[in-house]
Amino acid sequence: MKDSQQYDPDKLRHHIYDGIQEYDKRMPNWWLFTLYGAIVFSVIYWGYYQWAGHMQPGYVRVEKQIEEFQKSALAGGAAPSAIQLWNMSRDPAIVESGQKIYMTNCVACHGQNLEGGIGQNLVDATWVHGGTPTDIYNTITKGVLDKGMPVWGPVLGAGRINDVVAFIISKNPTIQQPPEM
Amino acid sequence: MVEYDDKIVRWFMGAAVFWGIVGMAVGVLVALQLAFWQLNFGTSWLTFGRLRPLHTNAVIFAFVGNMMFTGIYHSTQRLTRTRLASNFLSWVHFWGWQLIIVGAAITLPLGLTRSKEYAELIWPLDIAVVVIWVVFAINFFWTLAVRNEKSLYVAIWFYIATIITVAMLYIVNHLQIPTSWLHSYPIFGGVQDALVQWWYGHNAVAFFLTTPILGIMYYYLPKAAERPVYSYRLSIVHFWSLVFIYIWAGPHHLLNTALPEWLQTLGMVFSIMLWAPSWGGMLNGLLTLRGAWDKVRTDPVLKFFAAGVTFYGMATFEGPLLAIRSVNALSHYTDWTIGHVHAGTLGWNSFMAAGMFYWLTPRLWGTKLYSTKLADIHFWIGMVGILLYVAAMWVSGITTGLMLNSVTPEGVLAYPNFLEAVNSVRPMQHMRALGGALFLGGFFLMAYNLFRTIWAGQPVTTVIEVPAEERRVQEGLTLWQSIFNPPVIYSTLIVVFAALWGFTGQISATIAFVLMIETALVAMIHLSISGARWSDWYERLLESWLPFSVLTLVAVAAGGMIQILPLVYSKAAVDYEKAAQHVYTPMELVGRDIYVREGCYTCHSQMIRTLVGDVLRYGPSGRLGESVYDFPYQWGSKRTGPDLSRVGAKYPNIWHFQHFENPRSTSIGSNMPAYPWLYHQDADVAALPSKVRVLRSLGVPFPERTDEQLRAAFEAQGKEIVADLGKAGIEISPNREVIALIAYIQQLGKSPAAAPAQAAAR
Repeated sequence: MKDSQQYDPDKLRHHIYDGIQEYDKRMPNWWLFTLYGAIVFSVIYWGYYQWAGHMQPGYVRVEKQIEEFQKSALAGGAAPSAIQLWNMSRDPAIVESGQKIYMTNCVACHGQNLEGGIGQNLVDATWVHGGTPTDIYNTITKGVLDKGMPVWGPVLGAGRINDVVAFIISKNPTIQQPPEM
Repeated sequence: MVEYDDKIVRWFMGAAVFWGIVGMAVGVLVALQLAFWQLNFGTSWLTFGRLRPLHTNAVIFAFVGNMMFTGIYHSTQRLTRTRLASNFLSWVHFWGWQLIIVGAAITLPLGLTRSKEYAELIWPLDIAVVVIWVVFAINFFWTLAVRNEKSLYVAIWFYIATIITVAMLYIVNHLQIPTSWLHSYPIFGGVQDALVQWWYGHNAVAFFLTTPILGIMYYYLPKAAERPVYSYRLSIVHFWSLVFIYIWAGPHHLLNTALPEWLQTLGMVFSIMLWAPSWGGMLNGLLTLRGAWDKVRTDPVLKFFAAGVTFYGMATFEGPLLAIRSVNALSHYTDWTIGHVHAGTLGWNSFMAAGMFYWLTPRLWGTKLYSTKLADIHFWIGMVGILLYVAAMWVSGITTGLMLNSVTPEGVLAYPNFLEAVNSVRPMQHMRALGGALFLGGFFLMAYNLFRTIWAGQPVTTVIEVPAEERRVQEGLTLWQSIFNPPVIYSTLIVVFAALWGFTGQISATIAFVLMIETALVAMIHLSISGARWSDWYERLLESWLPFSVLTLVAVAAGGMIQILPLVYSKAAVDYEKAAQHVYTPMELVGRDIYVREGCYTCHSQMIRTLVGDVLRYGPSGRLGESVYDFPYQWGSKRTGPDLSRVGAKYPNIWHFQHFENPRSTSIGSNMPAYPWLYHQDADVAALPSKVRVLRSLGVPFPERTDEQLRAAFEAQGKEIVADLGKAGIEISPNREVIALIAYIQQLGKSPAAAPAQAAAR
């Protein structure tokens, strides 16, 4: 960089490399601003989060967020009663929604017609883990890890599980209507 | 009289065009495999997991590598007015490099891989790469040492940075211990391996795909435009800031993972600081075209250069954007990253390559370009191809990112089935394959055009006259003079104080912070007083190849040391954050090596990020301790399928057995390839003893067992799984590879300390 008095931006530099010449023009101000701006930002960002300790480890942060979610999820109310699930199974709109959820999440193991495969048959009278509407709800929510049934509670959520249970009840003639509470 | 060696240039160019076609054709095939799983053909050596590494290695090292050598060998001779130092080394370089590529093209489809991205080649090939790179370096620096041009032009600075940094990165990321002639384990595991890998991976992009091409830009663009370079001082500032800052940005590939927060923050802020230095290169290129824009309309060479430099600017703006933590939460593991890379490789690398080839071919064969019109068509087809590709990846990446992260007010996933996201972007996968195919088509046109040009011409020998008094220049500075100079001393002090500020206790950090600011101010005042003298010093530095190279090495080495060494030396790694890893049984280890061999990491991550969407979908976020015994680490970088780090015991064995044979039987709509060969190939039990021995030497606490005991343990676990499968009516030998793979998959997430945490989060 030359002294400012004799600096001429249109002057070519004295070196010529294989015919290539170079100007020594001023760097664009806006470009210098982005360069310095990014450096200043970085110093401030590091200073605030790392130096002053405002950065929590990620796993602590996410655990808190999940807790918040679970609080609001619990506020949604207790698990549905057997009769509520039964009544839902008589509602064609709910059954249809349950069918959709079944067809994306359950069909691979329990079959197109609920006839079973990797998973149990859901249209016969045999219920390994209990055959009342509440049993079915619990099996889906909590899973049976030993037998390979995944935990669906946190994945699907109570609303969608209700719909799937309603769908299964509607398909299985052996499930009895529970007594009114 | 100096006669340039242009024969080597011609050969490297031919190789670049050839491997470019091969590499891009494999790219189109793997893009189609994502859209149509049938194109995996049910054969092991044509599955996506093995071909994707072949594609990346071919386009990076075979295509851009040969293109870079073409440009460096051609321009360096002219910029130094010197013939390449050694014919012998030049040809060893050429044939060595081509043989390595052939070796890669054979071994990768066979599943011989290290599974570290862009570093997949097995150890004998790695050694060959290092040897050939050193041959290249000797040939290049020897040429500089005997040069007839006193001062080093900016293109040479970038070549120097390339050669030095790639050597450093490549060697460190390939430190490994062989278990056989074809297999090895890296000496780093878990988080250390992840960090070293992305220090390398990110800077492979920086110093293999960026700096050499910037050097090429600085030679060929002013040549083709016949205009002076815009600004020498901009060259200086953007060169030094680029090489210094680039190296720190690697951890942005690991944002929101278990990587310690300070490293994530460093990765993010250095990526943001990288924006301006990158744009400095773009500006110097585009502003050099001032006064030559009318030529851009008619000259295909300039058309490719102008577009290439613009894409460089686009990609280097997108990069810092994606490195922001919150943006990365959306973009990471999705197609957005893939689109970003291709904006750079197709837009910048391939277009700069095309421009250079179109400029070189007529000159090297003493004729005119066969068809300007065909070159124009190539340009437009290529441009449409890139835009289709990149747009498809933006839409696909953002769509899947939003879907997979989205949570209902009830606190559960809006799209619980991963495949919903995958299948919602099917049309984008088709569009991307179309874009890639168009780009390849354009490249074919170029190959034809160049071939016809060469056919019409004759190889030209260029001889120049160098007056005796200008020969064999003296070096301008000694090493001592180059280091003990105000600019170097100030820069070093500022970096040292910054590091002390960042990594020491409160009091010393505060002092260091004040000193850092003060040094910066003093330096600025000093510069304003004696700027002219500093500028003279730099001019003399440019007359000294060795001091210049040493300073470059210092600039690039700083970042890596500050980031990597603390983790390498912290031996507390074993129970990081109170989460230890389950030590693999012999069968699980064999299964893991099958997982690595099949390239499962190309589509599946093993790292649950610290994000609500990830935790709800896959379980508690990953902890560092959970992968300490993983040599190499398998955190992955892309999720075409779901994360697998806690998939163990989620499904029964029979589920996996059916899934590997036909993924669509258990996962409707899946685009995963089938793996029928795992059902008739026997697992490599014989290799177990040497594998266990190497891993024990790396610190994995395997119990001491004789070879027989290892085999017995393997067989016992196999029989257990086969007995379980038998309940479902399956009959299979316990030695089959699929059994070992199931054993490996079923223990994923089986971390002694993580289990209670997992239950709590449910």
